[in-house]
Amino acid sequence: MKIILDGKEVTAEAGRTILEVARQNGVDIPTLCHVPALEPAAMCRLCTVELIENRRARMVTACNYPLRGDAEVRTDTPFLRQGRKLIIELLYSRCPDSTVLKELAARYGAELGRFPEDNKDCVMCGLCARVCERVGGNVLALCGRGVEIRVDTSFGRTARHCIGCGACARICPVNKIQIGDEGAERTVIIYGKEASRIPLRPCTSCGKPFGPVIDLSLIMERAGETKVPAFNLSVCPACSRRNHARRLAERHFEQYEIEPRETGEDD
Amino acid sequence: MPEAEVMCQEPEVDFTLIDRIIRDDFNGNREAMIMMMQAIQRHYHFLPEPALHYLSQAISVPLTKIYEVATFYASFSLIPKGKHILHVCTGTACHLKGSGGMVKHIAGKLGIAPGGTTADKKFTLETVNCLGACAVSPVVVLDEKYHPKATVGLLNELIDQVNAE
Amino acid sequence: MNTATSAAAVLSGVKRFVGGQELEQHRQALIDRTDPNAPRILVCCGTGCKAVGSLDLLETMQNSVAASGAAIKVMPEVKRTGCHGFCSRGPLLTLQPEGLFYQRVKPEDAEEIVKQTVIGGELVKRLLYKPQGAKESIAKVGDIPFFAKQTKLVLKRVGRIDPFDINDSLVHGAYKALNKVLNEMSPDQVIEEIKNSKLRGRGGAGFPTGLKWESCSRQPGRHYVICNGDEGDPGAFMDASVMEGDPHAVLEGMAIAAYAMGSDRGFLYVRMEYPLAVQTLTRAIRQAEELGLIGDNILGTGFKFKVSVSTGAGAFVCGESSALMSSLEGKVGRPRPKYIRSTEKGFRDSPSNLNNVETYANVPEIILRGGAWYTGYGTERSAGTKVFSLTGNVHNVGLVEVPMGTSLREIVYGIGGGIPNKKELKAVQTGGPSGGCIPIPKKFLDINVGFGKLAEIGSMMGSGGMIVMDENICMVEVSRYFINFLVEESCGQCTPCREGLTRMKDILTRLTLGEGREGDVELLEEIGKFTNSFSLCGLGTSAANPVLSTIKYFREEYDAHIRDKKCPAGVCKPLYYYEIDPEKCTGCGLCRAKCPAKAVAGEKKKPHTIDQELCIKCMECYKNCKFDSIKIM
Repeated sequence: MKIILDGKEVTAEAGRTILEVARQNGVDIPTLCHVPALEPAAMCRLCTVELIENRRARMVTACNYPLRGDAEVRTDTPFLRQGRKLIIELLYSRCPDSTVLKELAARYGAELGRFPEDNKDCVMCGLCARVCERVGGNVLALCGRGVEIRVDTSFGRTARHCIGCGACARICPVNKIQIGDEGAERTVIIYGKEASRIPLRPCTSCGKPFGPVIDLSLIMERAGETKVPAFNLSVCPACSRRNHARRLAERHFEQYEIEPRETGEDD
Repeated sequence: MPEAEVMCQEPEVDFTLIDRIIRDDFNGNREAMIMMMQAIQRHYHFLPEPALHYLSQAISVPLTKIYEVATFYASFSLIPKGKHILHVCTGTACHLKGSGGMVKHIAGKLGIAPGGTTADKKFTLETVNCLGACAVSPVVVLDEKYHPKATVGLLNELIDQVNAE
Repeated sequence: MNTATSAAAVLSGVKRFVGGQELEQHRQALIDRTDPNAPRILVCCGTGCKAVGSLDLLETMQNSVAASGAAIKVMPEVKRTGCHGFCSRGPLLTLQPEGLFYQRVKPEDAEEIVKQTVIGGELVKRLLYKPQGAKESIAKVGDIPFFAKQTKLVLKRVGRIDPFDINDSLVHGAYKALNKVLNEMSPDQVIEEIKNSKLRGRGGAGFPTGLKWESCSRQPGRHYVICNGDEGDPGAFMDASVMEGDPHAVLEGMAIAAYAMGSDRGFLYVRMEYPLAVQTLTRAIRQAEELGLIGDNILGTGFKFKVSVSTGAGAFVCGESSALMSSLEGKVGRPRPKYIRSTEKGFRDSPSNLNNVETYANVPEIILRGGAWYTGYGTERSAGTKVFSLTGNVHNVGLVEVPMGTSLREIVYGIGGGIPNKKELKAVQTGGPSGGCIPIPKKFLDINVGFGKLAEIGSMMGSGGMIVMDENICMVEVSRYFINFLVEESCGQCTPCREGLTRMKDILTRLTLGEGREGDVELLEEIGKFTNSFSLCGLGTSAANPVLSTIKYFREEYDAHIRDKKCPAGVCKPLYYYEIDPEKCTGCGLCRAKCPAKAVAGEKKKPHTIDQELCIKCMECYKNCKFDSIKIM
């Protein structure tokens, strides 16, 4: 399959998205709402490109358009640059302190401040809600519609069934989701509002709270396995490392005496 | 279906009723979730939270997904509605004949925004996109009774009548 | 509810048709028992007439007929029907077989009609229709221009049959086409016939129906046939009238489609704001199932097609095909971000054929009379007829079916009867809020409506809403109205539609408040251009049309709002006020009586004045003044 990508002929595997083909060939198309691990949602529209297929030109989003035959793709025309500039300006007014948006603004010459800032602290890429569903947490969802659309928990309440995986915080392109452990609890904060609060499990070895109490059956279901996962969920990573080291040492270096250490002492 | 009692405070949710809706009327079919919710709302005039929790369990759909649906569709309400529901059609034909001004007027008179309910739970004011009765615009519907070619004066009368009850 | 007694008697002997012949025998028996010359009183019970009390009229009519039974030679059958179409004259009543037409009939008129017309054979003159400006009233339906100038193919049974009685539909030919298809045609032949008819989707996009069916039928897997009855355009009620007035036409069309595509399951997605349509369709499905016309083993041929009604929950965006399918699956109705046709992967990720109500309703007649017959109506590119709901500032508000290619002039003036109150026609808005646009009719009055022509001037035919606007409609405010509608109805998932429309609404609102700035129009154009090309679904990619087209054709009105802080049409409240012309005011006191804010003062027979502090600009005085003395300043 031959694709003319910004004037250069490249070959591509059928069924690949325009974005994949572009990235393979070193062409950078901007995206905000896309990560390869999740189904494309085509929400931010930044990756819109011009596609000429069967002598028909149209605008499509690169993240989810599968190439099925010979085609020409233009990723950086003046029209596209102007459109992206406007989208960046619109998003910037929602979330003015985002580094990603500032970088994109510089790249596309966006006039920041053309629209009044309304500090929604969110670019509505939907990644957090999508990853939450994918992981199986089902805590966050895109609620409401139109201008009122927002990331929210059921009835706006603090969720107790969150698995505390932190995927939402990690995936947020504008870093507006905070996840924090305090005492024996973990909280997820979105828009400054508590989205979930869950207990942390104490380490059976050192007694310190270290990870969220997660329903094991959920992990098994997600992992697609019937057996309990190979790692031990009752011991904190620090103790786990130490225990592992001890077992190794005991097996291979029997001649050495290991100095017993007080558990709970941090490494 | 028996005429639903209009609820003035959070009602007790009758789970056998919810169960009947889910299992008998819709066979527990997840695809019929929206219609189950409509049936629940027809009964309570809004979607009581416990009913949705029950629905979530009964058809194994995460509560978040149900909440998402409840907040997406305009006809669902998560808060109890007033005893009398006043629908003002804001379709194009009605709009051109001044329904926008009527909405503002009623909102001002009742002291609520469209979609809101008065503190005494007497009125809920709602706008609807088009009722298909464009010939007699602007149309106002009070408790399912159509009032064709409505005017601000007529609305004042209707509201005063209800308030005088 | 009234059902035809003779028909009911026939039905009592019928269980299920096990063959096409039985259906035709039953039909013939019904026709034989129905005397075409027997008196019938048809009461319109469409949504429009219902809103003005036609159900009360129906009841008193039935009672009056029963009460004077002894005096009546042949008892007339009093029948409730769907929409007659002439909604602005409701409640409507027709007396058959003479074809007498009474309009604005009140329940208290029933007795008089029975005495004078049914028994005495005389007309009740005051209930006759008199066209604007005419001296003589018109007694017969066929002579009224509003009806005479229409061509009813889709609406041929609407308003003539009792939609709650399947036998009445059978008398008028329902399921004849299905019988023909099942017994005489192969699925490919059906598709071929539809292709020959050049029927295009009536929902707005105008995709050739035959091609759609063909591509869907070639996909592997279970097929679904879905009818889009989510008529969301505000100011449009064509589909509602068809569903309410002739539900079997839609069901038959769907069954034929199902046969052509090898489907055994269909869904009717109807908006919840149409309770009457849900009721008629549900009842129609049940009756058709009882007779073996829908369901298992249809007409004994082994063909199976189950249909059910699903109701929307109030979301305009669910008119978009992928959003509709999500909604049918019980999910949030957001358009799906997939470049795949629903004929390949739609409902339940299976091949699904989605057509609009009017499209399906066209199918049976095409099958019976052939595709070539259908192309005899309309134009080369737009075959057949189109139903429009004609509303706004026009005399004859109602449902209008005309061949494609009819001029706007013919629709607005010929059928619509022109603009009331001696006002000037300013614009005609077609295509609803997302596709819609407002061309200047003076310039374009002779344009022929059809798929291509309206698009050329920046509008579109859309699903058939047609809103006539006079000089008192402000184009800036109309734009604001449509954008506001779309802001509320956008699903919110994609940036240009959600953010772009919000910003456009902010700007337009500012303009209507007199706070416009230089550069606002250019900014509107910029946002509009990119919203139209960067959005995800059909709602977004056409959302800016009302704004872009009004800027194109009514730029001076935008400029007046921005530069002079004036609203020339007298709509944007902060930008105008009412004043009474003392020269013209006769002091009749009507405005004072009508003013809900008590802002009008004045002694009898002396010029009145308006207290600007109290005035809420509700327009009541302006609308009611008989002497044209109230001025918009």
